[in-house]
Amino acid sequence: MLEVWQQLILLLEGVPLTLSISILSFLIGIAIGLPLAFIRVYEIEVGFVVDAYEKIFRGIPEIVLMLMFFFGLGPFFPFPFNNAFFVAVFIMGLRSGANQSQIYRGAIRGVGDEQMIAGQSVGLSKWSAIGHIMVPQVFTYSTPGLGSEYALLIKDSAYIYVIGGLNEIMTQAIRIKSIPPYDVITPFVLAAILYIVLTFPIAFSLDRWGNRRKKKIGL
Amino acid sequence: MTGIVMEAKNVYKTYGKNSKKADIKQVEAVKNVSLKIRKGDIKLIFGPSGSGKSTFLRCLAMLDIPDAGEIYLGDECLTKPGVDLNKARARIGFVFQHIYLFRHLTALGNVELALRRVLKLPKEEARERALAALAEVRVTDCVNKYPAQMSGGQAQRVGIARALARNPDIILLDEPTSALDPELTGEVIDTLRDLAKEGTTMLIVSHEMPFARDVAEEMIFYDEGRIVETGSPSLFFNAPNTDRAKKFMDRIIKRTTR
Repeated sequence: MLEVWQQLILLLEGVPLTLSISILSFLIGIAIGLPLAFIRVYEIEVGFVVDAYEKIFRGIPEIVLMLMFFFGLGPFFPFPFNNAFFVAVFIMGLRSGANQSQIYRGAIRGVGDEQMIAGQSVGLSKWSAIGHIMVPQVFTYSTPGLGSEYALLIKDSAYIYVIGGLNEIMTQAIRIKSIPPYDVITPFVLAAILYIVLTFPIAFSLDRWGNRRKKKIGL
Repeated sequence: MTGIVMEAKNVYKTYGKNSKKADIKQVEAVKNVSLKIRKGDIKLIFGPSGSGKSTFLRCLAMLDIPDAGEIYLGDECLTKPGVDLNKARARIGFVFQHIYLFRHLTALGNVELALRRVLKLPKEEARERALAALAEVRVTDCVNKYPAQMSGGQAQRVGIARALARNPDIILLDEPTSALDPELTGEVIDTLRDLAKEGTTMLIVSHEMPFARDVAEEMIFYDEGRIVETGSPSLFFNAPNTDRAKKFMDRIIKRTTR
């Protein structure tokens, strides 16, 4: 029988992995979602490819994708799909990219085409107007959505336990549960508390930063 | 050299052509308009709202691409395919009715951006030139303010500084005062008078008649997508040739002197 504090220590050992996978996926999501959003708004010809990607990754549960890639592709392409960490970040990053693309697309509309036109009026090319004028404002505009997206990633990281081998919070909780006398309540209550602690302070400060900045620049 | 800074030849532009919505009618905003502007010219376009003046101005800056006709910047034809429009736009200053300052940048940042990223000036030089442009329009107290923290008149003067700082061949101004409160238009008009004194080449869409009378060398009455009449301010203020111009002048003068 593990004491509560012993359980907590085991769960805390899972925190670095949960955080690093979630934050890495979030950053990959930015790197994918931001260009895709601009491609969809300004380059209509290839929009349908982006659309298909978004539908696939928003429509299929992550747990299914993780199982498919790890157990389905892993044996045939051991590099890189036999690596649990890679598969986790790969699936969560791509899923987040699909979501974030939608968030940014709304933000681009919100920031307004006039900012693009003003940028081009001073001689900037389309893509440098996007980089210098649109992107900073689009980020500010997106903050409430980005806060929820981060929260979603922290929560979804719990699915990783299905592919095994990564000692994140959920995997640790299940491991504790399987130790006699099989306490099914304490580890999950503790895990729930940990997930909340990891989610809200960051999501909240992101929102607050965004609100302040919005006020400052009148968005 | 001909001394012609900008020329429009039979520029034509319609709206709503490719619109799938049935309720949007095709509007001919610019119907074969031609215009020449020489170095140092100050010309003023006026006419009823919705007549296509703004569209014409945007076409000149190639912010709207004309359906037909040619636009020349100096000797360069901008409407030919393959022209580097970004380079051309860098030589044209544009001031918007609704200002459109970059919201996330301070006044200094707004003016500096093109100097750094388009003209590729070194940091120090860009800063110096931006500050000089802001001083020229007398908004040095706003240098570090964001657009949301400025008054409309201050913001528009920063907009003028943004257009001015690159030393463009010509500045196009699209109703620079009509989105401002009446008490703020004065400060923007004063800035434009300063520019006029320095010999800046300008094409201005405006209904500020006292300003027009004082600084415009030529007034252009624009209605229903066409230039209806062109002449000196004294012609328009005394006896325009066309009925439409006469009626419009009567109305506008009544309104401003009331």
